[in-house]
Amino acid sequence: MLAYLGMAFVLFITIFPVYWLAQNSFKLDIDIFAVPPVWFDFSPTLKHYEAAFIGQPFLTYAFNSLAIAMATTIVSLIFGTMAGYALARFEYPGQWRYQISFWILSTRMMPPIVTIIPLFIFFNFFNLLNTRLAVVVAYTAFNLPFVTWMMKSYFQDLPPELEEAAMVDGDTRWGAFLRIALPLARPGIAATAIFSLILAWNEFLLALILTQTERSMTLPVGISGRVTQYTTHWGEISAAGFLASIPIIIFALIVQKHLVRGLSLGAVKG
Amino acid sequence: MVRSESGTLTAQLRPGGGLERWAERHLRILMLAPTLLILAGLTLFPTVYMLTAALQKVSPDPSVPREFVGLGNFARMLTDPELHLAVRNTVVFTSVAVTLEFLLGLGLALLFDKYIRRLNFLKTILLVPMMIPPIAVALTWKLIYQPQFGVLNELMYRLGLPAQAWAGDVNLAMATIIAADVWEWTPFIFLLMLAGLASLPSEPYEAAQVDGASAWRQFWDLTIPFLKPVIAIALLLRIMDALRLFDLVFILTVGGPAGATETLSLYIFKVAFTFVDIGYAAAISLVVLFVTVGFSTWFIKRLRLAD
Repeated sequence: MLAYLGMAFVLFITIFPVYWLAQNSFKLDIDIFAVPPVWFDFSPTLKHYEAAFIGQPFLTYAFNSLAIAMATTIVSLIFGTMAGYALARFEYPGQWRYQISFWILSTRMMPPIVTIIPLFIFFNFFNLLNTRLAVVVAYTAFNLPFVTWMMKSYFQDLPPELEEAAMVDGDTRWGAFLRIALPLARPGIAATAIFSLILAWNEFLLALILTQTERSMTLPVGISGRVTQYTTHWGEISAAGFLASIPIIIFALIVQKHLVRGLSLGAVKG
Repeated sequence: MVRSESGTLTAQLRPGGGLERWAERHLRILMLAPTLLILAGLTLFPTVYMLTAALQKVSPDPSVPREFVGLGNFARMLTDPELHLAVRNTVVFTSVAVTLEFLLGLGLALLFDKYIRRLNFLKTILLVPMMIPPIAVALTWKLIYQPQFGVLNELMYRLGLPAQAWAGDVNLAMATIIAADVWEWTPFIFLLMLAGLASLPSEPYEAAQVDGASAWRQFWDLTIPFLKPVIAIALLLRIMDALRLFDLVFILTVGGPAGATETLSLYIFKVAFTFVDIGYAAAISLVVLFVTVGFSTWFIKRLRLAD
Protein backbone atom coordinates (compact mmCIF):
# COMPACT_ATOMS: atom_id res chain seq x y z
CA MET A 1 0.00 0.00 0.00
CA LEU A 2 2.76 2.37 1.02
CA ALA A 3 4.56 1.49 -2.20
CA TYR A 4 1.56 2.56 -4.24
CA LEU A 5 1.21 5.82 -2.35
CA GLY A 6 4.88 6.55 -2.90
CA MET A 7 4.47 5.70 -6.55
CA ALA A 8 1.53 8.05 -6.93
CA PHE A 9 3.59 10.83 -5.38
CA VAL A 10 6.56 10.16 -7.68
CA LEU A 11 4.29 10.09 -10.73
CA PHE A 12 2.75 13.39 -9.72
CA ILE A 13 6.17 15.04 -9.31
CA THR A 14 7.23 13.64 -12.67
CA ILE A 15 4.23 14.77 -14.63
CA PHE A 16 3.21 17.99 -12.95
CA PRO A 17 6.02 20.24 -14.29
CA VAL A 18 5.34 19.09 -17.86
CA TYR A 19 1.63 19.67 -17.39
CA TRP A 20 2.33 23.10 -15.95
CA LEU A 21 4.47 24.12 -18.92
CA ALA A 22 1.88 22.85 -21.39
CA GLN A 23 -0.96 24.54 -19.53
CA ASN A 24 0.82 27.88 -19.44
CA SER A 25 1.26 27.79 -23.17
CA PHE A 26 -2.54 27.87 -23.53
CA LYS A 27 -3.15 30.63 -20.97
CA LEU A 28 -3.68 34.31 -21.61
CA ASP A 29 -1.02 36.50 -20.01
CA ILE A 30 -3.48 37.64 -17.38
CA ASP A 31 -3.93 34.02 -16.26
CA ILE A 32 -0.21 33.24 -16.42
CA PHE A 33 0.55 36.07 -14.02
CA ALA A 34 -2.47 35.47 -11.79
CA VAL A 35 -1.86 35.16 -8.05
CA PRO A 36 -2.89 32.62 -6.84
CA PRO A 37 -2.21 30.55 -9.98
CA VAL A 38 -5.18 29.55 -12.09
CA TRP A 39 -5.41 25.76 -12.14
CA PHE A 40 -8.29 24.80 -14.38
CA ASP A 41 -10.62 27.72 -14.83
CA PHE A 42 -9.11 29.68 -17.70
CA SER A 43 -10.14 30.26 -21.28
CA PRO A 44 -7.60 28.48 -23.49
CA THR A 45 -5.94 30.45 -26.25
CA LEU A 46 -3.64 29.69 -29.17
CA LYS A 47 -2.33 33.25 -29.07
CA HIS A 48 1.14 32.22 -27.91
CA TYR A 49 1.51 29.55 -30.57
CA GLU A 50 0.57 32.18 -33.11
CA ALA A 51 3.06 34.66 -31.62
CA ALA A 52 5.81 32.04 -31.53
CA PHE A 53 5.36 30.83 -35.06
CA ILE A 54 4.09 33.84 -36.93
CA GLY A 55 5.39 36.87 -35.03
CA GLN A 56 8.71 35.17 -34.18
CA PRO A 57 11.01 33.12 -36.42
CA PHE A 58 10.51 29.95 -34.37
CA LEU A 59 9.67 28.09 -37.54
CA THR A 60 13.09 29.03 -38.91
CA TYR A 61 14.71 27.84 -35.66
CA ALA A 62 12.77 24.58 -35.83
CA PHE A 63 13.77 24.08 -39.44
CA ASN A 64 17.44 24.74 -38.56
CA SER A 65 17.26 22.29 -35.69
CA LEU A 66 15.69 19.63 -37.88
CA ALA A 67 18.12 20.13 -40.78
CA ILE A 68 21.12 20.12 -38.44
CA ALA A 69 19.91 17.06 -36.54
CA MET A 70 19.28 15.12 -39.75
CA ALA A 71 22.55 16.04 -41.44
CA THR A 72 24.49 15.25 -38.25
CA THR A 73 22.76 11.91 -37.94
CA ILE A 74 23.38 10.89 -41.55
CA VAL A 75 27.06 11.83 -41.51
CA SER A 76 27.80 10.31 -38.12
CA LEU A 77 25.92 7.13 -39.01
CA ILE A 78 27.92 6.63 -42.21
CA PHE A 79 31.31 7.06 -40.54
CA GLY A 80 30.40 5.62 -37.16
CA THR A 81 28.85 2.46 -38.62
CA MET A 82 31.97 1.74 -40.67
CA ALA A 83 34.22 2.36 -37.69
CA GLY A 84 32.01 0.27 -35.41
CA TYR A 85 32.09 -2.59 -37.91
CA ALA A 86 35.86 -2.37 -38.25
CA LEU A 87 36.34 -2.48 -34.48
CA ALA A 88 33.90 -5.37 -34.11
CA ARG A 89 35.26 -7.57 -36.91
CA PHE A 90 38.88 -6.82 -37.77
CA GLU A 91 42.01 -7.78 -35.94
CA TYR A 92 44.61 -5.10 -35.41
CA PRO A 93 48.23 -5.72 -34.53
CA GLY A 94 49.14 -5.73 -30.85
CA GLN A 95 46.94 -3.74 -28.52
CA TRP A 96 45.71 -1.37 -31.21
CA ARG A 97 42.11 -2.47 -31.27
CA TYR A 98 41.77 -1.98 -27.55
CA GLN A 99 43.67 1.32 -27.63
CA ILE A 100 41.57 2.75 -30.45
CA SER A 101 38.28 1.66 -28.86
CA PHE A 102 39.41 3.14 -25.61
CA TRP A 103 40.44 6.42 -27.16
CA ILE A 104 37.14 6.76 -29.03
CA LEU A 105 35.24 6.15 -25.82
CA SER A 106 37.32 8.67 -23.93
CA THR A 107 36.58 11.48 -26.41
CA ARG A 108 32.95 11.11 -25.38
CA MET A 109 33.99 12.31 -21.94
CA MET A 110 35.35 15.65 -23.15
CA PRO A 111 33.43 18.62 -21.76
CA PRO A 112 32.13 20.60 -24.77
CA ILE A 113 33.01 23.98 -23.24
CA VAL A 114 36.66 22.95 -23.29
CA THR A 115 36.77 22.39 -27.04
CA ILE A 116 34.38 25.13 -28.03
CA ILE A 117 36.93 27.96 -27.88
CA PRO A 118 39.30 26.43 -30.46
CA LEU A 119 36.29 25.34 -32.56
CA PHE A 120 34.96 28.88 -32.44
CA ILE A 121 38.31 30.28 -33.60
CA PHE A 122 38.51 27.58 -36.27
CA PHE A 123 35.05 28.30 -37.70
CA ASN A 124 35.67 32.01 -37.44
CA PHE A 125 38.84 31.61 -39.49
CA PHE A 126 36.95 29.82 -42.27
CA ASN A 127 34.04 32.25 -42.06
CA LEU A 128 31.67 29.51 -41.02
CA LEU A 129 30.26 31.02 -37.84
CA ASN A 130 26.48 31.35 -37.95
CA THR A 131 26.13 28.62 -40.52
CA ARG A 132 24.34 25.33 -40.14
CA LEU A 133 27.44 23.64 -41.57
CA ALA A 134 29.54 24.64 -38.54
CA VAL A 135 26.99 23.20 -36.13
CA VAL A 136 26.76 19.97 -38.15
CA VAL A 137 30.55 19.58 -38.09
CA ALA A 138 30.71 20.18 -34.33
CA TYR A 139 27.78 17.84 -33.59
CA THR A 140 29.17 15.14 -35.85
CA ALA A 141 32.45 15.24 -33.96
CA PHE A 142 30.63 14.89 -30.65
CA ASN A 143 28.20 12.22 -31.91
CA LEU A 144 30.75 9.96 -33.58
CA PRO A 145 32.07 8.26 -30.44
CA PHE A 146 28.51 7.46 -29.44
CA VAL A 147 27.50 6.05 -32.84
CA THR A 148 30.74 4.07 -33.17
CA TRP A 149 30.21 2.45 -29.80
CA MET A 150 26.56 1.65 -30.38
CA MET A 151 27.29 0.08 -33.75
CA LYS A 152 30.35 -1.77 -32.47
CA SER A 153 28.23 -3.51 -29.86
CA TYR A 154 25.48 -4.32 -32.38
CA PHE A 155 27.93 -5.87 -34.82
CA GLN A 156 29.58 -7.82 -32.02
CA ASP A 157 26.20 -9.36 -31.26
CA LEU A 158 25.71 -10.48 -34.87
CA PRO A 159 27.18 -13.87 -35.73
CA PRO A 160 30.06 -13.40 -38.23
CA GLU A 161 29.30 -16.71 -39.99
CA LEU A 162 26.90 -15.20 -42.53
CA GLU A 163 29.48 -12.72 -43.73
CA GLU A 164 32.09 -15.47 -43.84
CA ALA A 165 29.76 -17.62 -45.95
CA ALA A 166 29.26 -14.74 -48.38
CA MET A 167 33.00 -14.27 -48.67
CA VAL A 168 33.54 -17.97 -49.28
CA ASP A 169 31.02 -17.58 -52.10
CA GLY A 170 33.27 -14.95 -53.62
CA ASP A 171 31.98 -11.71 -52.12
CA THR A 172 34.51 -9.16 -50.89
CA ARG A 173 34.70 -8.12 -47.25
CA TRP A 174 33.22 -4.73 -48.18
CA GLY A 175 30.45 -6.48 -50.16
CA ALA A 176 29.69 -8.71 -47.20
CA PHE A 177 29.49 -5.63 -44.98
CA LEU A 178 27.11 -3.85 -47.36
CA ARG A 179 24.91 -6.79 -48.34
CA ILE A 180 24.92 -8.97 -45.22
CA ALA A 181 25.97 -7.12 -42.08
CA LEU A 182 24.26 -3.77 -42.72
CA PRO A 183 20.78 -5.20 -43.40
CA LEU A 184 21.08 -7.44 -40.33
CA ALA A 185 22.04 -4.47 -38.17
CA ARG A 186 19.07 -2.41 -39.34
CA PRO A 187 17.29 -2.32 -35.94
CA GLY A 188 20.51 -1.15 -34.32
CA ILE A 189 21.03 1.48 -36.98
CA ALA A 190 17.48 2.75 -36.54
CA ALA A 191 17.85 3.05 -32.77
CA THR A 192 21.23 4.75 -33.09
CA ALA A 193 19.81 7.19 -35.63
CA ILE A 194 16.99 8.21 -33.35
CA PHE A 195 19.40 8.70 -30.46
CA SER A 196 21.62 10.83 -32.61
CA LEU A 197 18.60 12.89 -33.69
CA ILE A 198 17.60 13.42 -30.06
CA LEU A 199 21.12 14.43 -29.00
CA ALA A 200 21.37 16.95 -31.82
CA TRP A 201 17.85 18.29 -31.32
CA ASN A 202 18.38 18.85 -27.58
CA GLU A 203 21.91 20.29 -27.66
CA PHE A 204 22.28 23.85 -26.43
CA LEU A 205 25.80 24.99 -25.51
CA LEU A 206 27.58 24.42 -28.83
CA ALA A 207 24.72 25.92 -30.82
CA LEU A 208 24.59 28.91 -28.48
CA ILE A 209 28.20 29.75 -29.24
CA LEU A 210 28.29 28.86 -32.93
CA THR A 211 25.03 30.52 -33.99
CA GLN A 212 24.08 34.05 -33.12
CA THR A 213 21.97 35.20 -36.04
CA GLU A 214 18.25 34.59 -36.35
CA ARG A 215 18.76 32.79 -39.63
CA SER A 216 21.12 30.18 -38.19
CA MET A 217 19.87 29.67 -34.63
CA THR A 218 18.58 26.32 -33.45
CA LEU A 219 15.36 25.95 -31.51
CA PRO A 220 16.92 25.77 -28.00
CA VAL A 221 19.01 28.88 -28.69
CA GLY A 222 16.03 30.71 -30.18
CA ILE A 223 13.86 29.88 -27.21
CA SER A 224 16.50 30.95 -24.71
CA GLY A 225 16.72 34.29 -26.51
CA ARG A 226 13.17 35.06 -25.39
CA VAL A 227 14.27 34.93 -21.75
CA THR A 228 15.71 38.38 -21.24
CA GLN A 229 16.95 40.17 -18.18
CA TYR A 230 13.79 42.22 -17.73
CA THR A 231 10.93 40.49 -19.45
CA THR A 232 10.30 36.87 -20.17
CA HIS A 233 7.70 36.03 -22.76
CA TRP A 234 6.26 33.20 -20.72
CA GLY A 235 3.40 32.25 -23.00
CA GLU A 236 5.56 32.19 -26.09
CA ILE A 237 8.47 30.24 -24.62
CA SER A 238 6.09 27.79 -22.97
CA ALA A 239 4.48 27.16 -26.34
CA ALA A 240 7.83 26.74 -28.09
CA GLY A 241 9.30 24.64 -25.27
CA PHE A 242 6.30 22.37 -25.19
CA LEU A 243 6.30 21.92 -28.96
CA ALA A 244 10.05 21.21 -28.98
CA SER A 245 9.49 18.44 -26.43
CA ILE A 246 6.72 16.57 -28.22
CA PRO A 247 8.64 15.06 -31.16
CA ILE A 248 11.42 13.92 -28.81
CA ILE A 249 9.04 12.25 -26.40
CA ILE A 250 7.35 10.43 -29.27
CA PHE A 251 10.70 9.41 -30.74
CA ALA A 252 11.98 8.20 -27.40
CA LEU A 253 8.88 6.13 -26.74
CA ILE A 254 9.39 4.40 -30.08
CA VAL A 255 12.90 3.30 -29.17
CA GLN A 256 12.19 2.72 -25.50
CA LYS A 257 13.46 -0.86 -25.76
CA HIS A 258 16.85 0.36 -26.88
CA LEU A 259 17.03 3.26 -24.45
CA VAL A 260 19.21 1.66 -21.83
CA ARG A 261 21.72 0.35 -24.24
CA GLY A 262 21.98 3.57 -26.18
CA LEU A 263 22.33 5.86 -23.24
CA SER A 264 25.03 3.76 -21.69
CA LEU A 265 27.00 3.62 -24.96
CA GLY A 266 26.25 -0.06 -25.41
CA ALA A 267 28.38 -0.84 -22.40
CA VAL A 268 25.49 -2.27 -20.42
CA LYS A 269 23.77 -5.17 -22.04
CA GLY A 270 20.13 -4.23 -21.58
CA MET B 1 41.87 -13.83 -36.96
CA VAL B 2 40.41 -16.40 -39.32
CA ARG B 3 37.83 -13.85 -40.40
CA SER B 4 40.20 -11.21 -41.65
CA GLU B 5 42.57 -13.72 -43.21
CA SER B 6 39.80 -15.24 -45.28
CA GLY B 7 38.75 -11.69 -46.19
CA THR B 8 42.13 -10.78 -47.62
CA LEU B 9 42.43 -14.16 -49.25
CA THR B 10 39.23 -13.80 -51.24
CA ALA B 11 40.21 -10.29 -52.16
CA GLN B 12 43.48 -11.49 -53.64
CA LEU B 13 41.77 -14.24 -55.59
CA ARG B 14 39.14 -11.93 -57.01
CA PRO B 15 39.74 -10.28 -60.31
CA GLY B 16 39.18 -6.53 -60.35
CA GLY B 17 40.83 -3.13 -60.52
CA GLY B 18 44.04 -2.49 -58.67
CA LEU B 19 42.48 0.27 -56.62
CA GLU B 20 39.58 -1.92 -55.62
CA ARG B 21 41.95 -4.61 -54.47
CA TRP B 22 44.09 -2.16 -52.61
CA ALA B 23 40.99 -0.80 -50.86
CA GLU B 24 39.80 -4.26 -49.95
CA ARG B 25 43.18 -5.18 -48.52
CA HIS B 26 43.33 -2.05 -46.39
CA LEU B 27 39.67 -2.10 -45.43
CA ARG B 28 40.39 -2.40 -41.73
CA ILE B 29 42.14 0.95 -41.84
CA LEU B 30 39.94 2.66 -44.44
CA MET B 31 36.71 1.93 -42.57
CA LEU B 32 38.14 3.37 -39.39
CA ALA B 33 39.97 6.32 -40.92
CA PRO B 34 37.20 8.94 -41.27
CA THR B 35 36.12 8.54 -37.66
CA LEU B 36 39.69 8.63 -36.39
CA LEU B 37 40.48 11.73 -38.44
CA ILE B 38 37.38 13.60 -37.27
CA LEU B 39 37.98 12.67 -33.64
CA ALA B 40 41.63 13.64 -33.95
CA GLY B 41 40.43 17.00 -35.27
CA LEU B 42 38.10 17.30 -32.30
CA THR B 43 40.76 16.45 -29.73
CA LEU B 44 44.24 17.16 -31.07
CA PHE B 45 43.63 20.49 -32.76
CA PRO B 46 41.84 22.06 -29.77
CA THR B 47 44.44 20.70 -27.36
CA VAL B 48 47.35 22.10 -29.36
CA TYR B 49 45.53 25.40 -29.88
CA MET B 50 44.81 25.72 -26.18
CA LEU B 51 48.36 24.79 -25.21
CA THR B 52 49.65 27.73 -27.21
CA ALA B 53 46.86 30.14 -26.25
CA ALA B 54 47.22 29.30 -22.56
CA LEU B 55 50.78 30.64 -22.61
CA GLN B 56 49.72 33.95 -24.10
CA LYS B 57 47.77 37.01 -23.17
CA VAL B 58 45.20 37.44 -25.91
CA SER B 59 43.61 40.85 -26.15
CA PRO B 60 39.94 41.24 -27.11
CA ASP B 61 41.18 43.69 -29.72
CA PRO B 62 42.57 41.60 -32.60
CA SER B 63 44.94 44.38 -33.65
CA VAL B 64 46.85 44.11 -30.37
CA PRO B 65 49.54 41.45 -30.77
CA ARG B 66 49.51 38.45 -28.46
CA GLU B 67 51.91 38.60 -25.59
CA PHE B 68 53.79 35.58 -24.30
CA VAL B 69 53.19 35.26 -20.56
CA GLY B 70 54.58 31.79 -19.85
CA LEU B 71 52.72 30.14 -17.03
CA GLY B 72 51.13 33.44 -16.00
CA ASN B 73 47.61 32.30 -16.85
CA PHE B 74 48.07 29.18 -14.75
CA ALA B 75 49.45 31.17 -11.85
CA ARG B 76 46.42 33.45 -12.08
CA MET B 77 44.14 30.45 -11.53
CA LEU B 78 45.63 29.98 -8.07
CA THR B 79 44.53 33.41 -6.92
CA ASP B 80 41.21 33.79 -8.74
CA PRO B 81 38.44 33.73 -6.12
CA GLU B 82 35.69 33.49 -8.76
CA LEU B 83 37.31 30.38 -10.24
CA HIS B 84 37.61 28.81 -6.80
CA LEU B 85 33.95 29.50 -6.18
CA ALA B 86 33.06 27.91 -9.52
CA VAL B 87 35.09 24.81 -8.69
CA ARG B 88 33.48 24.57 -5.28
CA ASN B 89 29.98 24.99 -6.76
CA THR B 90 30.66 22.37 -9.41
CA VAL B 91 31.90 19.87 -6.83
CA VAL B 92 28.96 20.55 -4.49
CA PHE B 93 26.44 20.30 -7.32
CA THR B 94 27.94 17.11 -8.74
CA SER B 95 28.24 15.26 -5.46
CA VAL B 96 24.82 16.21 -4.07
CA ALA B 97 22.86 15.85 -7.33
CA VAL B 98 24.44 12.54 -8.38
CA THR B 99 24.04 11.05 -4.88
CA LEU B 100 20.37 11.98 -4.76
CA GLU B 101 19.75 10.75 -8.30
CA PHE B 102 21.46 7.48 -7.52
CA LEU B 103 19.57 6.80 -4.28
CA LEU B 104 16.21 7.78 -5.77
CA GLY B 105 16.81 5.94 -9.03
CA LEU B 106 17.90 2.75 -7.31
CA GLY B 107 15.03 2.96 -4.81
CA LEU B 108 12.46 3.41 -7.57
CA ALA B 109 13.93 0.57 -9.59
CA LEU B 110 13.77 -1.79 -6.58
CA LEU B 111 10.20 -0.71 -5.92
CA PHE B 112 9.22 -1.39 -9.51
CA ASP B 113 11.08 -4.65 -9.69
CA LYS B 114 9.42 -6.03 -6.59
CA TYR B 115 5.98 -4.52 -6.29
CA ILE B 116 4.81 -2.90 -9.45
CA ARG B 117 6.05 -5.25 -12.14
CA ARG B 118 2.73 -5.40 -13.95
CA LEU B 119 2.28 -1.67 -14.36
CA ASN B 120 4.72 -1.35 -17.20
CA PHE B 121 3.26 1.80 -18.70
CA LEU B 122 4.12 3.70 -15.51
CA LYS B 123 7.79 3.16 -16.27
CA THR B 124 7.33 4.97 -19.55
CA ILE B 125 5.79 7.97 -17.80
CA LEU B 126 8.68 8.08 -15.34
CA LEU B 127 11.14 8.39 -18.21
CA VAL B 128 9.58 11.55 -19.65
CA PRO B 129 11.77 14.14 -17.83
CA MET B 130 15.02 12.93 -19.36
CA MET B 131 13.58 13.02 -22.87
CA ILE B 132 12.49 16.65 -22.78
CA PRO B 133 15.05 19.05 -24.26
CA PRO B 134 17.13 20.44 -21.36
CA ILE B 135 16.17 23.95 -22.41
CA ALA B 136 12.48 23.11 -21.91
CA VAL B 137 13.30 21.54 -18.54
CA ALA B 138 15.07 24.73 -17.48
CA LEU B 139 12.15 26.91 -18.61
CA THR B 140 9.64 24.69 -16.85
CA TRP B 141 11.46 25.04 -13.56
CA LYS B 142 11.99 28.76 -14.05
CA LEU B 143 8.24 29.04 -14.34
CA ILE B 144 7.64 26.97 -11.21
CA TYR B 145 10.26 28.87 -9.18
CA GLN B 146 8.91 32.31 -10.18
CA PRO B 147 8.82 34.31 -6.92
CA GLN B 148 5.71 36.37 -7.78
CA PHE B 149 3.33 34.03 -9.59
CA GLY B 150 5.19 30.69 -9.40
CA VAL B 151 3.31 27.62 -8.32
CA LEU B 152 5.93 26.68 -5.72
CA ASN B 153 5.31 29.79 -3.67
CA GLU B 154 1.59 29.10 -3.92
CA LEU B 155 2.31 25.70 -2.36
CA MET B 156 4.34 27.39 0.40
CA TYR B 157 1.43 29.72 1.06
CA ARG B 158 -1.04 26.84 1.31
CA LEU B 159 1.28 25.08 3.74
CA GLY B 160 1.47 28.27 5.79
CA LEU B 161 5.16 28.79 4.99
CA PRO B 162 6.80 32.06 3.93
CA ALA B 163 7.32 32.72 0.22
CA GLN B 164 10.91 32.44 -1.06
CA ALA B 165 12.90 34.01 -3.87
CA TRP B 166 14.10 30.47 -4.82
CA ALA B 167 16.57 30.79 -7.70
CA GLY B 168 17.09 34.43 -6.69
CA ASP B 169 18.10 33.63 -3.11
CA VAL B 170 21.82 33.13 -2.43
CA ASN B 171 21.11 30.33 0.03
CA LEU B 172 18.51 28.52 -2.05
CA ALA B 173 19.76 28.97 -5.61
CA MET B 174 22.03 25.93 -5.65
CA ALA B 175 19.29 23.78 -4.14
CA THR B 176 16.87 24.85 -6.89
CA ILE B 177 19.38 23.85 -9.58
CA ILE B 178 20.01 20.52 -7.87
CA ALA B 179 16.26 19.83 -7.55
CA ALA B 180 15.69 20.51 -11.24
CA ASP B 181 18.64 18.31 -12.20
CA VAL B 182 17.43 15.50 -9.94
CA TRP B 183 14.02 15.73 -11.59
CA GLU B 184 15.58 15.56 -15.03
CA TRP B 185 18.12 12.76 -14.49
CA THR B 186 16.83 10.41 -11.79
CA PRO B 187 14.90 8.61 -14.58
CA PHE B 188 18.20 7.83 -16.26
CA ILE B 189 19.59 6.02 -13.20
CA PHE B 190 16.18 4.40 -12.70
CA LEU B 191 16.29 2.99 -16.22
CA LEU B 192 19.84 1.63 -15.93
CA MET B 193 19.07 0.05 -12.54
CA LEU B 194 15.90 -1.58 -13.88
CA ALA B 195 17.92 -3.12 -16.68
CA GLY B 196 20.51 -4.32 -14.17
CA LEU B 197 17.84 -5.84 -11.91
CA ALA B 198 16.21 -7.57 -14.88
CA SER B 199 19.43 -9.42 -15.65
CA LEU B 200 20.02 -10.77 -12.12
CA PRO B 201 20.30 -14.56 -11.94
CA SER B 202 17.65 -16.21 -9.76
CA GLU B 203 19.62 -19.19 -8.36
CA PRO B 204 21.62 -17.33 -5.71
CA TYR B 205 18.40 -15.82 -4.36
CA GLU B 206 16.77 -19.23 -4.14
CA ALA B 207 19.79 -20.51 -2.26
CA ALA B 208 19.69 -17.48 0.04
CA GLN B 209 16.01 -18.09 0.71
CA VAL B 210 16.77 -21.69 1.68
CA ASP B 211 19.44 -20.43 4.04
CA GLY B 212 16.89 -18.04 5.53
CA ALA B 213 18.75 -14.83 4.65
CA SER B 214 16.81 -11.64 5.35
CA ALA B 215 15.67 -9.36 2.52
CA TRP B 216 18.24 -6.80 3.68
CA ARG B 217 21.08 -9.36 3.59
CA GLN B 218 20.02 -10.51 0.13
CA PHE B 219 20.03 -6.93 -1.08
CA TRP B 220 23.40 -6.15 0.45
CA ASP B 221 25.22 -9.42 -0.32
CA LEU B 222 23.66 -10.34 -3.68
CA THR B 223 21.91 -7.46 -5.43
CA ILE B 224 24.51 -4.77 -4.85
CA PRO B 225 27.52 -6.90 -5.89
CA PHE B 226 25.68 -8.07 -9.02
CA LEU B 227 24.68 -4.53 -9.90
CA LYS B 228 28.15 -3.14 -9.33
CA PRO B 229 29.17 -2.80 -13.00
CA VAL B 230 25.89 -1.11 -13.93
CA ILE B 231 26.14 1.19 -10.93
CA ALA B 232 29.68 2.14 -11.90
CA ILE B 233 28.68 3.03 -15.46
CA ALA B 234 25.60 4.94 -14.33
CA LEU B 235 27.68 6.97 -11.88
CA LEU B 236 30.44 7.61 -14.42
CA LEU B 237 27.99 8.95 -17.01
CA ARG B 238 26.10 11.09 -14.52
CA ILE B 239 29.27 12.51 -12.94
CA MET B 240 30.69 13.41 -16.37
CA ASP B 241 27.44 15.18 -17.29
CA ALA B 242 27.07 16.92 -13.95
CA LEU B 243 30.62 18.28 -14.17
CA ARG B 244 29.71 20.12 -17.37
CA LEU B 245 26.39 21.52 -16.14
CA PHE B 246 25.45 24.50 -18.26
CA ASP B 247 21.86 24.68 -19.59
CA LEU B 248 20.11 24.75 -16.22
CA VAL B 249 22.25 27.48 -14.69
CA PHE B 250 22.30 29.50 -17.89
CA ILE B 251 18.51 29.74 -17.89
CA LEU B 252 17.66 29.61 -14.19
CA THR B 253 20.29 31.84 -12.59
CA VAL B 254 23.08 32.74 -15.05
CA GLY B 255 25.43 31.77 -12.23
CA GLY B 256 23.95 34.19 -9.75
CA PRO B 257 23.01 35.44 -7.28
CA ALA B 258 26.50 36.60 -6.29
CA GLY B 259 28.10 33.61 -8.02
CA ALA B 260 26.20 31.13 -5.83
CA THR B 261 25.49 28.84 -8.80
CA GLU B 262 28.38 29.65 -11.10
CA THR B 263 29.77 26.40 -12.49
CA LEU B 264 33.04 25.75 -14.28
CA SER B 265 31.37 25.55 -17.69
CA LEU B 266 29.61 28.84 -17.14
CA TYR B 267 32.75 30.52 -15.84
CA ILE B 268 34.85 29.39 -18.82
CA PHE B 269 32.03 30.57 -21.09
CA LYS B 270 32.08 34.00 -19.42
CA VAL B 271 35.85 34.36 -19.46
CA ALA B 272 36.04 33.39 -23.14
CA PHE B 273 32.99 35.10 -24.61
CA THR B 274 32.05 37.91 -22.23
CA PHE B 275 35.47 39.07 -21.03
CA VAL B 276 37.10 37.77 -24.27
CA ASP B 277 40.12 36.61 -22.28
CA ILE B 278 41.00 33.67 -24.53
CA GLY B 279 44.40 32.90 -23.01
CA TYR B 280 43.04 32.59 -19.49
CA ALA B 281 39.98 30.63 -20.67
CA ALA B 282 42.31 28.25 -22.49
CA ALA B 283 44.39 27.73 -19.36
CA ILE B 284 41.31 26.87 -17.26
CA SER B 285 39.98 24.65 -20.04
CA LEU B 286 43.22 22.71 -20.21
CA VAL B 287 43.17 21.99 -16.50
CA VAL B 288 39.51 20.96 -16.63
CA LEU B 289 40.21 18.77 -19.65
CA PHE B 290 43.18 17.16 -17.95
CA VAL B 291 41.25 16.40 -14.78
CA THR B 292 38.06 15.06 -16.42
CA VAL B 293 39.75 13.00 -19.12
CA GLY B 294 42.21 11.69 -16.53
CA PHE B 295 39.37 10.74 -14.23
CA SER B 296 37.29 9.07 -16.93
CA THR B 297 40.31 7.26 -18.35
CA TRP B 298 41.04 5.79 -14.96
CA PHE B 299 37.39 4.85 -14.58
CA ILE B 300 37.04 3.26 -18.03
CA LYS B 301 40.23 1.27 -17.54
CA ARG B 302 39.05 0.08 -14.16
CA LEU B 303 35.73 -1.03 -15.60
CA ARG B 304 37.46 -2.60 -18.63
CA LEU B 305 34.80 -0.94 -20.79
CA ALA B 306 36.89 -0.89 -23.94
CA ASP B 307 37.38 -4.68 -24.11
